[in-house]
Amino acid sequence: MITVTINEKEITLEKPITVLEAARSAGISIPTLCYHPALERYGGCRLCLVEVEKMPRLQTACTLMTADGMIVRTETDAIAGVRRGILEFLLINHPLDCPYCDKAGECELQDLVEKYGPTTGRFKEKKRKMPESLEDAIIVRNMERCIVCTRCVRMCEGVQGASAIAVMERGGHSHIEPFSGGKYDCEYCGNCISVCPVGAIMSRMHRHSYRPWQMTDQVETICPYCGVGCTVTAQVRDDAIKRIIPKLGSPVNNGLLCSRGRFGYEFVGNRDRLTRPLIRKNGVLEESTWEEAIHRVTQKLGEIKEKYGSSSVAGIASPRCTNEDNYVFQKFMRVTIGTHNIDSTARTGYAGAQQFIENIFGQGATANIISGISRSDVVFVVGGDPTTVNPILGLQIRACSRKGGAVLTLGKVSGLRYFSPHALDPASFTETVLLEGIVTELKNRKELSGSHSSLESNIKDIAVSVEDVIKECKIREDDFHSFITLLSEASNPVLIIGKEIIQSNGASYKLLLLSAINYLINGRIYLLSERANEQGLLDMGCASDLLPGSRPVEVAELRRRYERAWHVTLPDKPGLTLFEMIHGAKEGSVRAMYVMGENPLFNLPNSENVKEALGNLDFLVVQDLFMTETAESADVVLPALSWAEKEGTFTNMERRIQKLRKVISRAGKEDWRIISDVSGNMGVSFPYDSAEDVFAEISKVSPLHRDLTYDDIEEGEALWPFKGEPLRGGMEISCNKGDGATESGKYFLAIDRPLFHSGTLSRKSSALMRLCPEAVARISSTTAAELSVTDGDSIRISTRIGSLSLPVFIDEAYDGSLIKVSNNFRGKGVFSLMEYSLDPVLKSPCMDNVIIEIEKSDRHVQRDPKNDSEVKK
Amino acid sequence: MEKVLLKNIENTNSADITEYQKIGGYASIAKALEKERKDIIEEVKKAGLRGRGGAGFPAAMKWTFASGDPKFPKYLVCNADEGEPGTFKDRPILEKNPHLLIEGMVISGYALNAEYGFIYLRGEYPDAKHILERAIAQAYDRNFLGDDIAGKGIVFHLSVHQGAGAYICGEETALIESLEGDRGQPRIKPPFPVNVGVWSKPTIVNNVETLSNLPYIIEIGGEAYSKIGSPECPGPKLYCVSGHIEKPGVYELPMGTSLREIIYTHCGGIKGGKQLKAVIPGGISTPVLPPDKIDCPMDFVNMPKHGSMLGSGAVIVMDETVCLVKVCYRALKFFEHESCGKCTPCREGTGWLRSILERIEHGEGQEGDIDLLLSVSSNILGKTFCPLGDGAASVVQNFIKHFRPEFEGHITAKTCAVEG
Amino acid sequence: MLNETAIKELQEIRSKYPSARSALLPAIYVAQREFGWLSEEAYEAVSEVLGVPKAIARGVGAFYAMYKHRPMGRNIIQLCTNVSCMILGAERLADYLKSHYGLVPGGTTEDGRFSLVIMECIGACGTAPAMLVNDEFYENLSEQYIEEILAKFT
Ligand SMILES: Cc1cc2nc3c(=O)[nH]c(=O)nc-3n(C[C@H](O)[C@H](O)[C@H](O)COP(=O)(O)O)c2cc1C
Ligand code: SF4
Ligand code: FES
Repeated sequence: MITVTINEKEITLEKPITVLEAARSAGISIPTLCYHPALERYGGCRLCLVEVEKMPRLQTACTLMTADGMIVRTETDAIAGVRRGILEFLLINHPLDCPYCDKAGECELQDLVEKYGPTTGRFKEKKRKMPESLEDAIIVRNMERCIVCTRCVRMCEGVQGASAIAVMERGGHSHIEPFSGGKYDCEYCGNCISVCPVGAIMSRMHRHSYRPWQMTDQVETICPYCGVGCTVTAQVRDDAIKRIIPKLGSPVNNGLLCSRGRFGYEFVGNRDRLTRPLIRKNGVLEESTWEEAIHRVTQKLGEIKEKYGSSSVAGIASPRCTNEDNYVFQKFMRVTIGTHNIDSTARTGYAGAQQFIENIFGQGATANIISGISRSDVVFVVGGDPTTVNPILGLQIRACSRKGGAVLTLGKVSGLRYFSPHALDPASFTETVLLEGIVTELKNRKELSGSHSSLESNIKDIAVSVEDVIKECKIREDDFHSFITLLSEASNPVLIIGKEIIQSNGASYKLLLLSAINYLINGRIYLLSERANEQGLLDMGCASDLLPGSRPVEVAELRRRYERAWHVTLPDKPGLTLFEMIHGAKEGSVRAMYVMGENPLFNLPNSENVKEALGNLDFLVVQDLFMTETAESADVVLPALSWAEKEGTFTNMERRIQKLRKVISRAGKEDWRIISDVSGNMGVSFPYDSAEDVFAEISKVSPLHRDLTYDDIEEGEALWPFKGEPLRGGMEISCNKGDGATESGKYFLAIDRPLFHSGTLSRKSSALMRLCPEAVARISSTTAAELSVTDGDSIRISTRIGSLSLPVFIDEAYDGSLIKVSNNFRGKGVFSLMEYSLDPVLKSPCMDNVIIEIEKSDRHVQRDPKNDSEVKK
Repeated sequence: MEKVLLKNIENTNSADITEYQKIGGYASIAKALEKERKDIIEEVKKAGLRGRGGAGFPAAMKWTFASGDPKFPKYLVCNADEGEPGTFKDRPILEKNPHLLIEGMVISGYALNAEYGFIYLRGEYPDAKHILERAIAQAYDRNFLGDDIAGKGIVFHLSVHQGAGAYICGEETALIESLEGDRGQPRIKPPFPVNVGVWSKPTIVNNVETLSNLPYIIEIGGEAYSKIGSPECPGPKLYCVSGHIEKPGVYELPMGTSLREIIYTHCGGIKGGKQLKAVIPGGISTPVLPPDKIDCPMDFVNMPKHGSMLGSGAVIVMDETVCLVKVCYRALKFFEHESCGKCTPCREGTGWLRSILERIEHGEGQEGDIDLLLSVSSNILGKTFCPLGDGAASVVQNFIKHFRPEFEGHITAKTCAVEG
Repeated sequence: MLNETAIKELQEIRSKYPSARSALLPAIYVAQREFGWLSEEAYEAVSEVLGVPKAIARGVGAFYAMYKHRPMGRNIIQLCTNVSCMILGAERLADYLKSHYGLVPGGTTEDGRFSLVIMECIGACGTAPAMLVNDEFYENLSEQYIEEILAKFT
């Protein structure tokens, strides 16, 4: 226990903290500028100087640690003079352009000068001049206003780990700049903007379009992009989102955001948003009324169900929609239509992998707290770059490295290159051997504990010699050994698994090996999740084999609970998975499809095949925000409300159930309401007036959500499983080794998952489009040399099913023969080129063996005009 | 007094190891290795050796802190950044007697159980870099550096790290930042470098001259060493004298020699027999003294009693032809240029002071400017992160304190009475 | 890009330190030597070889006065004008360089033969005024002596 006295007030502390923190905890305010709770102590601005008895000099409260018996004074006349003096220094070179500055009203310097500052200046010389920099698309930099507190730099380097800006020069010339002066070559997290206390670093997006006091509303909600589920505050003026900011202290992201979360909100106000229902008449989609549209849907679905049976109808749910939307949708499919044909794009990886791992370790095994990653001592990353897929989770890995933890990666991971990764980069198609080698070595070093007999029996025969691993994978023996040593000596390791490995040949066997590694090192597993409510959708039962609460369809005793709740008899066999639906549509067994908030025609591999399948349907209804590729081929298109316009809940990858709050109002209906309307029309009425009503039913029906209320969620106490039933686990493990296909080809195609985009939603946000405007082919410098192309030249990539012309971008992080293209831009999606096979266990597509032909295309690629027009505000 | 630090430097080949060994060099290593580590520290304590970098901190005390920290490895860093204007005392050791420094570092390294040493050498001494590197290579060859020093299994490796033009990197925590490849800005203390220094390990930073005293202390013993010079801070001291002086240069004299004796006895008095106007006794950051204040013993303990500081022992002598406003202005230009920019008062204040002095010097001074100078300096003094800013403020205050009429003259006459 | 030898040299420097970052100062010296001055390209090369983010490398380089961030003349005159040199005539010498060589502080002669950099104390106060030309000290300067010295450089 430490007792300190600040301004005659005695404060008792559990452990030493800074004088500043102690004072603030006791309600004593001390002015600060360079201090920021998320950043390392700095002590540069000197505003927080205080008097401490027995210390000869004034001390900075923000750096001085409390000690027992310390006596501090913060409000003497001398201190008042010091504050005035410091503020005067800060103003001598400051342009004093508050009337013109967007920061006015929330500027820390302005507020402090108002409170403590001098009223007149004594500096008569010319001020330092540095022109405002508007060269960057997103960030404006005004170094005349900068007070060199270095909060931005400490954020960028010490927290974000992007190290994209630095203080240049020194002394009075000190200023902050990105590497090449004007443009930022960075991750555009915008966290520098958040921490800048003055108007020196600001976003261009709301430049001169608002002042802080003009905000009419400020709503805390959840980011719509990835599975991390960051808390965001949306600031609103005139029913338009003006700005998205993070909040310090929020559990997942604690004051941080990534580029998508901060800048990607503009799709909400995009003028391409669908406003009215559309019905296809004479081959053309025409505007109609809600009544007519719902009537049409009801009538067609009824007819088809009548004629071909319930199982001829299939539904695709959405990882962008709320739990409530998804719950109502699966209930509609199961109860109103009478089929388990409900699935989603989670089937492309996340769903199968989660089920596989949780079958081994028990349900909830992949539900781990994201902030725990930074406290682990070893992070093993497999199957992708977490810093682009789940950026805020990626920061935790960087923090772990900064604290001295070891980062191990399979393959090179660009986003971790400055975090001393130990990378094993095996030759193409040899990951399996490498993983077997790791399992073998770990078994040699660690005793099998016998605590998981079925897993142990599956791995007991695995034995690959180090020599074979080295030879086949073409890695260095030293690297392999140090990898094994780090893994086997880890005391608190985590394993992070991305989609690339789940979508590779023999994925289920690789997952078995990864599970074995996890078992042997006693780690925790994180599955990267690309969409905000991918987990929630699974929990809601939007899977052909799982009911809400992840109860298997096939177990009669379990099924009964739902049958009772819904007053129906449910089919006793699972429905069609996503890919089976496509197949069914193609060969005629599926006749109608209901797609909610998803774009399968673009988001699934072999788009041509999907197009053909959907074209073959008797009836396709699409519910969405925009006229997507899929909506274009629909018979009825229903406009939905977006994330910002409705209430509901999302469940993140930690299985934290979080509340989405309505930020702005817009005419229209929530997805769940549209579906309820359809259902009611079909004779099964759903009794909900609000998302909360839906949730009340979820917490009755789903054993995982039992007794959970909106109030619990409000208080942030909704980490799944809430008051769940005992979990299953230890089912029999089956897996598939794949065919070990290593078809020889010179170049292979892979999926790029860029930081600035997410699916097709982000292409409706102008900021993200400015950051990453078009599809590119990322190639290695070796490939570039072979093709004699440089950045910006274009190449034609062809596979058996299609070809694309794309500009190239040479990525130093890539090796040899891999070529990556993203799936975000209209007409330029990588999936249009990708054939796939299904992993028989995971039911997810394998896409790691797509051989391509490349040629330099002479024609300079024109930007797709359609693409250009995608962002309209 | 027998020369210790500048011994043999008249020999044109003094930097060569053979020459150094000829006059008994490297003998102290063997002697030191016979002692227990803590006994060497004890010896240094008895010697009363104080750091020669400017602050005069007792070396043995710093060493005791460092050796008490169980973290390993420990680093020994020699501060050869010598940047204080007027200072050139370490340069003869670095260029002409490098083996003395190496020997001193090996002994300290052993005493502190540090296996790695770095010499942080200012970028402005390119010759010294080559000389040191050659000397280090020779010392490796003769087994005074390496993994088995003198066949006793003692490990000490040494290399030179070259600075790149930043006075602040003489400050030990800024030096550590710079050694870690960072911008040379001072760090928060505590933790002190003796506990958390370079690469977060215990680090002992000592000046070139400090470390060069070690062989002699081992040779004659702490007791005998403590009899040299001032009783409160004994030992030989290098004084470097420049400016309007007959015989400028580096003088090795007993600590505590008076300023008057240095100027008039050893250096032959003021150049051309002119009048002495002012002396800066310990490098530009130390308070200037008028002629009637030069009877002060030049050591760490007595100088503060006489209104200044020993600093680096860099004596700058100025005769009657010098305009002190201009000197003060030039000094502030230096501080402005060298401010690292970390803390507000120094970053903004040094430039402001310079600009006021500039207008006074240029005959554009305004009434009230002297008070403004004093007010701005007092807003800096005691509020900065490190002593650099304090130095700037106190320079202004002391020039005004002793030579106020000259400043006033500039403002009222709009011109300089000395230089016209 | 850096040539093989320079890359090797950087890697060697890197291996002397426990962290890549620590090698920045000596590495930037090498890049300055190789590129003549510290262009963006020079920093990119350092960043690439050491694996230190390029903005960090540039921010570090930008702190130190001896790193040159503009193209320089073939020979660099670094003239000290700090107090000891100043009171012994350094300013006069600066004027001389201006009138006879057209060299202003921070400038380069038209023929690219010399650049002039004004230095803070270079530790030659006992032999003031003094300057460095490239890596060589020249002390006890006078106008005539400067003329003699500079004649040696092309
Ligand atoms: C602004 C500033 C500049 C300094 N410059 C030097 C220097 O050039 N050389 C030096 O040895 N010490 C310098 N010091 C002192 C060092 O911080 C440190 O006290 C010294 O290296 C310790 O060594 P010593 O105990 O042997 O003197 C400087 C201190 C400050 C505050
Ligand atoms: S006083 Fe402040 S700005 Fe000046 S050198 Fe020290 S830390 Fe840097
Ligand atoms: S807040 Fe303490 S020095 Fe800036």
